[in-house]
Amino acid sequence: MRTITRLLKREKRGISTVIVVMLSLVLVVIIVGNVVLWSYQMNQVDLERTQETLTIANVTRMEPAGLSIEVKNTGAVSLHLVAVWVSDSTEHQRYDADVFLNAGESVTYNRTDIALPSGAFLAKVVTERGNMAVFSED
Amino acid sequence: MKKKIFKRFLRDKRAITPVLSHLLLTVVAVAIMSLATSATFVITTNMKETMGERVVVEDVWFNGATGTVNVYLRNVGKADIQISGVYVNHVGQSFNGNASRLQVNKQGWLSIACSWEAGKAYYIDIVTNRGTHIADYYKAP
Repeated sequence: MRTITRLLKREKRGISTVIVVMLSLVLVVIIVGNVVLWSYQMNQVDLERTQETLTIANVTRMEPAGLSIEVKNTGAVSLHLVAVWVSDSTEHQRYDADVFLNAGESVTYNRTDIALPSGAFLAKVVTERGNMAVFSED
Repeated sequence: MKKKIFKRFLRDKRAITPVLSHLLLTVVAVAIMSLATSATFVITTNMKETMGERVVVEDVWFNGATGTVNVYLRNVGKADIQISGVYVNHVGQSFNGNASRLQVNKQGWLSIACSWEAGKAYYIDIVTNRGTHIADYYKAP
């Protein structure tokens, strides 16, 4: 063992190659590590998005004005509603919203500033992750 | 005393070549490593931004009043996006609107100048400058 250590200490050839290989390895590990970590994070985002499901049970008119939406979180993760859409053949209107729902929770979301169209309409709620639930009335 | 040593150091020209060559080699090595590190940073940043692009279509409105197709986009990813092309039934169309460039968690309308007929289905393909496609079939009401 001692002889090998002495030999290694005396022998200076090939040191630069070893250093270059080590530095290159460090760079490769940084690139691969970064990409793998980011890929893992994005997979988590996609997984959470696929686990998120919601339904609109009913949309009703409020008196004297406004609408009431019954939303149920049917997924396994909590969700954040960020928008409500009300559309008919002539107008598509988006309204900002800010409602949090735990897994399995139902909520009745009332808005007095949204006027429902008199005829057929389509109501949508959009979550922060980009999922939607749709309700239509003819 | 210090002056003497300095004068002797200036007069003595031996071993200057090895010192210079080592110095040059060090400078070259540092420059190459800096280049490699910058390249690594640029490559990983680009890859991360490409992998972090997520865009959702919140609404598609076949607008009879303007004769355009309006698409409401929201950036739900981790990188800012820029729309570079829009194809309706695989034909490139001109577009405008505040959704042409979207920061993270921002949204807006994209107005596509294309004629449409009621009851027909259209394949709308929106492409970002990093190559992400947001494509689906939408039926005109």
